[in-house]
Amino acid sequence: MGLPINKEHLKLGLRYIENKDFIYNLKVVRRTDMRVVHYLNQFFGGIGGEEFASTGVSSQEGAIGPGRLLQQLIDGESEVVNTIICGDNYAAENLDEITDFVVNSVREAKADLFVAGPCFEAGRYGVAAGAICAAVSAQVGIPVVTAMAEENPGVDLFRQEIYIIDSGANVGAMSEVLEKMAKILNKLKNHQEIGHPEEEGYIAQGIVRDEILEENAATRILDMIIAKTAGKSYKSELTQTAFEPIPAPPAVSDLTNATIAVVTDGGLVPKGNPDNMPPIAAEIWGSYDIASLDDLQSGDYDVQHRGYDNRHVLDDPDRLVPVDVLRELEEAGAIGKVYEEFLSTSGLANPIANSRRLGQEMAKKLKSAGVDAVILTST
Amino acid sequence: MTAVTPVARMVGSNRVVQGKGIVYPLGDAEISNDDEKALRRDIVQQALDALSSEVSET
Amino acid sequence: MKNLTSLITGFTKFALKPFNTRFKQLFENDPSIDRGYQVDITCVNEGGLAPMEATMELEIINHDIDNMVFGDSTVLSGKELAIDHDGLKEYLLEDRRLQDIDIQIAKPGESCRIGVVFDIIEPRAKEAGSGSDFPGLLGPFAVAGQGSTHVLRGSAVTVIDPSAVPGITSKVLEMQGEPASASPYGNLHHLVLSPKVLDDSPRHVVQNVLRMLSVKAAVYLGNAAQGKKSDQVEIYSQNENDNESREGIPRIAYIAQIHGHQMTVEEDEPILYGSNTEGMMPILLNPNEILDGALVASYWVMRVETYFYQNHPLIKELLSRHQSKEITFTGVIATVAASKETDRNRNCMLAASMAKSTLKADGVVLTKYGGGAPHVDMGETARLCEAMGMPTVVQVSDSSGDRKAESAMLFNYPEVDAVVYGGGGDTGWDVGTPERVIAGTPGVAKTLKDMKYIEGAALCGITNQQGASKIRATVY
Repeated sequence: MGLPINKEHLKLGLRYIENKDFIYNLKVVRRTDMRVVHYLNQFFGGIGGEEFASTGVSSQEGAIGPGRLLQQLIDGESEVVNTIICGDNYAAENLDEITDFVVNSVREAKADLFVAGPCFEAGRYGVAAGAICAAVSAQVGIPVVTAMAEENPGVDLFRQEIYIIDSGANVGAMSEVLEKMAKILNKLKNHQEIGHPEEEGYIAQGIVRDEILEENAATRILDMIIAKTAGKSYKSELTQTAFEPIPAPPAVSDLTNATIAVVTDGGLVPKGNPDNMPPIAAEIWGSYDIASLDDLQSGDYDVQHRGYDNRHVLDDPDRLVPVDVLRELEEAGAIGKVYEEFLSTSGLANPIANSRRLGQEMAKKLKSAGVDAVILTST
Repeated sequence: MTAVTPVARMVGSNRVVQGKGIVYPLGDAEISNDDEKALRRDIVQQALDALSSEVSET
Repeated sequence: MKNLTSLITGFTKFALKPFNTRFKQLFENDPSIDRGYQVDITCVNEGGLAPMEATMELEIINHDIDNMVFGDSTVLSGKELAIDHDGLKEYLLEDRRLQDIDIQIAKPGESCRIGVVFDIIEPRAKEAGSGSDFPGLLGPFAVAGQGSTHVLRGSAVTVIDPSAVPGITSKVLEMQGEPASASPYGNLHHLVLSPKVLDDSPRHVVQNVLRMLSVKAAVYLGNAAQGKKSDQVEIYSQNENDNESREGIPRIAYIAQIHGHQMTVEEDEPILYGSNTEGMMPILLNPNEILDGALVASYWVMRVETYFYQNHPLIKELLSRHQSKEITFTGVIATVAASKETDRNRNCMLAASMAKSTLKADGVVLTKYGGGAPHVDMGETARLCEAMGMPTVVQVSDSSGDRKAESAMLFNYPEVDAVVYGGGGDTGWDVGTPERVIAGTPGVAKTLKDMKYIEGAALCGITNQQGASKIRATVY
């Protein structure tokens, strides 16, 4: 018995026929062939060592060096169609140019996959490979992979965005590293699930994934404390994050001439919440006029933050944004000027990457407005 | 300025001033209005002192 | 007053109806109870403390429930609990802060969604004469955790929060399908109370009404088991000096947060023996006390329900490993996360030093209460424990919206390196429209009905912070 065909099916069929790209892509996938573009530095590209690190970017057809083994390891009729080579110094100094060059080459080659490295401990090489892979992934949308040693500075910069195989420091492990790179590419192109970093050999991207177990947390807590007190090994379910140090800006030399701004992550907004600030994980910040105010009044403000009891700040917003005291200090000449607006966002459960962006945007605004120093109040 | 200084230190803040409470970093609902204002002056002054002091790497 | 007290002491055991009538008559014309503080009166105890043995022993008499129905009277026959709907309603409506209360039964497997949940409690009652129900909160003061307690295992009293606003889908129960199987609450028979409090009641009054309802109903049902026998009896007795030597077995203490003061407590917010924990410093509790009604959830909390104080997974696991001599469980230090830094520093220091010098612990396990700020207090306490030579394991949950490990942690001490994860954001289930919704208001009912997806964190019990969570995080 055949399936009944309705109007929807017909429309769908028409769309397939009209969409020539679809048919074209279909042909490409069926006919072959994984077309790979490969990026190498001057050393692995066979040009030479450190003395050739300023060599500019060039492109050659076919596989070179590690690419020869790589194309054999990728499933199916794979071929490195194009190898791009660039000196490490040149890449470090002209990263935007190189990135554009590679993205264009990948597009022109109609590549299905992109590979950079392995870079092992070479820092400039790793940073360039990471940046280029991230750009190809974001702009072209094809699977990418690179490989480096964990200490390579490219790791911290790009591991959240792309898969970086842990190559270790030993260049002699080249073939094993290429095998792991090929394995992950095969999975990516077939849309297979990528397993745990330790199984697949890549450096953890720092993405938390849940799984549901048989044992509850209580059992796991006891297993872990018994192992830890006995000095035996145990595996933490979350690992710690180290934050990069932030250089301290120099001291304000003369407060009596300084413009001071107030920023808060406590979610204070004018009554009615004009910018629709969300009370959790806000992706926006607001800037609110206080130029003519000597004191923030209860009733004029709302709080958009669900992580603390807001009633005390609603009763007196100066408990969060101390306009009353700053105005006194301004009048007494202790500080030059209170900046005419306060900036506010909701810091509750806000992802680090988002918070970083909000902070950068706020800093940019305040810097261009000539603000000399900022008081940040946090709940 | 925060009442949760361990977090401020963890993320790398260079000048940290201890606020009074999570629910009122620059105040205290449990004391008189005058005392509270004096407390706020004191905390803000600490912030200004911090802004006008050099920070050394530790 | 004296007469009243003795009457009240005996009330939950023997004389439900007569007492209620008497109570009404006594206070009918008393204006002081218009705001409804009559519940405080039940805590007045002039009879002194119950006798206490050196080793606390708690007998839990489990009565398995596999069916819950409405009937003419509240009786337990076999595994079926019949509930006198009108009698219970009349009893609960004695709290004059209430306008009305809707009482429904929700069974496992039913196409039913319930929310927003204020709290879930297991129906229990002390065997007459052997202690006090929720001492300091409902019953007179007595040390909880000793004597005999009847438990209607497999059932729950679930109280809906009528002040929840539409659009927020948290603290939900789902009785059918995968979410029900994943939640430890999905296979229970729930008596669901949906109260309507007097208009314009202040927030704390609404919450106090809910709290009192929850414990009253739990004891009302529990009393159906008075005098009944069961072959499902558990004895909780944490005896350190049992015959065989415990030398060489690691001594483990548990530091448990029971509130986070970033949420300011109300005067009438009973948490520990009726105390609202304001100004509380760490105190030592026998684990039995927590299992037996000394502790209830605070008014505002995520991922904690009173049900899992009564059936505390971590305490039960500690006791079980104590029994099997893998550890010696030295006791529970109850503490609170602070709003003020001085309080935080003091509490963290005292909790750690109490574990070290009073409990002589070799290792410490820690849990937090609520959200992000208490995370800091737990981390700080763990750091101090490590510094005092006691290895630690902490349980965290995270609210990293972007699922990045860097957003998940709120402390970063290299020595606090043993972390068990209790829940996160990428567990959830697609759900259909349920046949029945039990909610506090029509607006919330619509929100619940229209849900297409339930996040793990929104479903009661999935990301539980008392040790019941079965979710583990892996960093990819």
